[in-house]
Amino acid sequence: MKRTSGDEIAGEVGLVRLGLRGRFVAFVSAIFIAFGVVLTALAVRAQNDHLRHELEDRGKLLTTVIAANTTDALAMLEVSELRRMIAEARDQENVLEVVTFDEDGRVFTDGTVENPRRHELISEAALRHVAGSEALLVEFDGDAMIVTKPVHLGGSVLGGVRLRYSLASLAEVQASLARRTAVVGAIFALLGVLAAALLTEAVTRPLKEVIRATRALSEGEPAPRLPVRTTDEVGELAEAFNEMTRKLRDTTVSRDYLDRVLETMGEGLVVTGPDGTITRVNSAVCSLSGVGEEELLGQNCRDLFRAPQGHVSLLDALGPDGSAHGLETELLARGGEAVPVMVSVGAMEEIAGRARSYVVVAADIGERLRHEQQKDEFVTMVHHEVRAPLTAVRGAIGLLEGGVAGELGERGQELVEIALRNSERMGRLVNDILASRKLDSGRMEFHYEQVEMMPLVEQAIDSTSAYATKHEVRFELDEGVPGAMVRVDPDRMIQVLTNVLSNAVRFSAAGDVVTVRASRHDELLRVAVSDAGPGIAEDFRDHVFEAFARGEHEDWRHRSGTGLGMSISKGIIEELGGAITFETELGAGTTFLIDIPESA
Amino acid sequence: MATAPPVPAGVLTIGSVSLKPAQEYEVFRPFANFVAANLHEVEIGRGRVVVVGSLSQMVEELREGRVDLFIDSPFPAAFVWKHGDTRPLLRRWKRGSDSYRSVVFARADSGIDSLDDLSGKIIAFGEPFSTTGFLMPKSALASEGLRLVNYEDPAASIPDDRVGYVFSNDAENTMFWVLKGKVAAGAVNADYFGALAGGRIGELRVLHTTEAVPRNVVCVRNSLDQQLVQAIEKVLLEMHLSEEGRAALEAFEETTKIDRFPRGSEQDLADIMMLLPHVEEDLGR
Repeated sequence: MKRTSGDEIAGEVGLVRLGLRGRFVAFVSAIFIAFGVVLTALAVRAQNDHLRHELEDRGKLLTTVIAANTTDALAMLEVSELRRMIAEARDQENVLEVVTFDEDGRVFTDGTVENPRRHELISEAALRHVAGSEALLVEFDGDAMIVTKPVHLGGSVLGGVRLRYSLASLAEVQASLARRTAVVGAIFALLGVLAAALLTEAVTRPLKEVIRATRALSEGEPAPRLPVRTTDEVGELAEAFNEMTRKLRDTTVSRDYLDRVLETMGEGLVVTGPDGTITRVNSAVCSLSGVGEEELLGQNCRDLFRAPQGHVSLLDALGPDGSAHGLETELLARGGEAVPVMVSVGAMEEIAGRARSYVVVAADIGERLRHEQQKDEFVTMVHHEVRAPLTAVRGAIGLLEGGVAGELGERGQELVEIALRNSERMGRLVNDILASRKLDSGRMEFHYEQVEMMPLVEQAIDSTSAYATKHEVRFELDEGVPGAMVRVDPDRMIQVLTNVLSNAVRFSAAGDVVTVRASRHDELLRVAVSDAGPGIAEDFRDHVFEAFARGEHEDWRHRSGTGLGMSISKGIIEELGGAITFETELGAGTTFLIDIPESA
Repeated sequence: MATAPPVPAGVLTIGSVSLKPAQEYEVFRPFANFVAANLHEVEIGRGRVVVVGSLSQMVEELREGRVDLFIDSPFPAAFVWKHGDTRPLLRRWKRGSDSYRSVVFARADSGIDSLDDLSGKIIAFGEPFSTTGFLMPKSALASEGLRLVNYEDPAASIPDDRVGYVFSNDAENTMFWVLKGKVAAGAVNADYFGALAGGRIGELRVLHTTEAVPRNVVCVRNSLDQQLVQAIEKVLLEMHLSEEGRAALEAFEETTKIDRFPRGSEQDLADIMMLLPHVEEDLGR
């Protein structure tokens, strides 16, 4: 719908376009007119009733008076006198016809010299009435009222007077009243229209200012500050607009600024249309692909990005909302080279449900993959070059400790124990490094089983009890969830529990108790392992689950592990569909919470 | 600049009898003015109207030369002809009629079949000066040998050798009085009888219809200058031929025209003159 000017806030009423002002004026006018019509109708009706009764009463009274006046003339058969009186009566307002008649209902005179109704019989009904009553007989005939007044004298019927009285003047009065009312109504309507126009002007003027300002804003012109004249909704609108423009100024970046941002991005950025046609790229994409911007524009992104595995194109791999995150694929550079990239895609709806476009951000992950490869190579090297010799070292030290090489002296025994302890520690480190790497690379294997939870907890406590005894720490299993089942890899679950229990022992003083509680919590099974240790320093709490993260507590440094345990535990528990968190208080201890979904 | 000829000083006086002189004056004035205005050649410059209360007084006015013309119904005209120094000059038509007559009627079921049956009964006439309502029928009844006596009360007891009469003062009253049996008989203008009886005419019986008499008579003072009389005669006879004249005639009690007596005044008024004695007393009052 095209708007012809800023003055129109167009809507449509049938075939006629009415602006807000027109509709408002029409509405208010309609209210005025409707009000006027209702009032007029009520007034006219009341007035009509009043007028009709008054008119009827006047006719009846006139008939009664004529009858009274003509009694003597009727008695004396003075028809000339009757004619004179009836002629006078005929001159009265609204009298259409009046006659006097005898006891037989024959007309004496209608008041005219010609007297065409002379001897004419009045109606049978009127005659019957006259014979038996002295009361008025009132009949209606169209716009006329016919009143018959019997004239009796001394018990004899002399005749009567029959008057035909026009009620048409009522219609004239009604018409006059209606005309006057219409004039008043029209004046009211005009006043209503005028009032509505003034009111509308007051309402729409600020709106027009908002429209003009909005148009200016949309055309890139500086939005004027709107005057806030009132404290009502219109004033609030102006204030809100001013606030909006202020925030827009603060937050809106210019196209040039946006271009500069995009050009300085390290990641490649591609914007495509709904069908994948590239409409915009930044220089990073050009660098990655070795293709110029001009050449890339218009291409389809499937020619730029290899389709993720199992999909025909990058856009085919998007979720229902048109987005995807962390997709690893390859950017097809000039010359057939494939650049590994991690891609995130976001959909932009220009109009809801239509003309969707996509923003593809591609980060070169070649370096990272090389690091990963190096890590893998290192782990392989550790596995082969450290773990195997270490096993041999531990075996040799074990033989020494066992006296295979002869009785060791006290000092010798002491040195062998140190060597054994450190070789075991190195072994754990190597195992942890390998486990951590497996988790990172997704190569850790899980063998899921439906098992009961409590035996796993008890088994983990048993596994750790020797370590606890060594440090004079005692486990206490407070609560349990007998029969509760979980679907986990039992070995990995025990690994996590053991790790958490060892950790608690590690930070417990001699004689401390590590409490283990198993319970249900928010539809999860929760195992809480609480120690009475020093608690976790505040600045370390965010790093507890990071690899190689270790607290700086001097007193406990000698007990610290490889620094991978909690990281591995977190990785495993998340793979099992659970979570691990902790609650801690300095000087009071720490509780690690392991939550795992209960299996039916 | 042409100067209008001076208005002659002569005056033409038209007389009438009425108990309502102001009203009568207004009836006669336009007629008098028109006639006078057309008599400048005979030195008449102005018309005048004299209204008196009785015929006797009018006779005196004519005799003394204070009235030049007298226009009335045939019995008054006959009266002044007989008693004053006047003569009938022309006939006056009224309401399209050159003559009229009366009917005497009774209820058909009254047992009155002839005028003789009216003896001992009351008849209703119209107004005392009405030609057809009173003078004509009364004189006609009297000429038939009936003795008519005036009564005030229609219910009065009447001797068998007389016919009582009352004035109903209105032809319509007369008709209803007869129909309702208030009086035994009534007399009205024959022209109106049918209309007055209407659908009830079958309930009535006509006992007598009088001879037709001229509708109205213009009398002229005998002593009036003959040249002037001829001039007056000419003006009156030609009045209905001009627009102005017709308007003046219409205003003068719906006069149609004025013409000569077809058979001459003496012959056309012979019946009236014969009946006059029966109502002279009534006229002279």
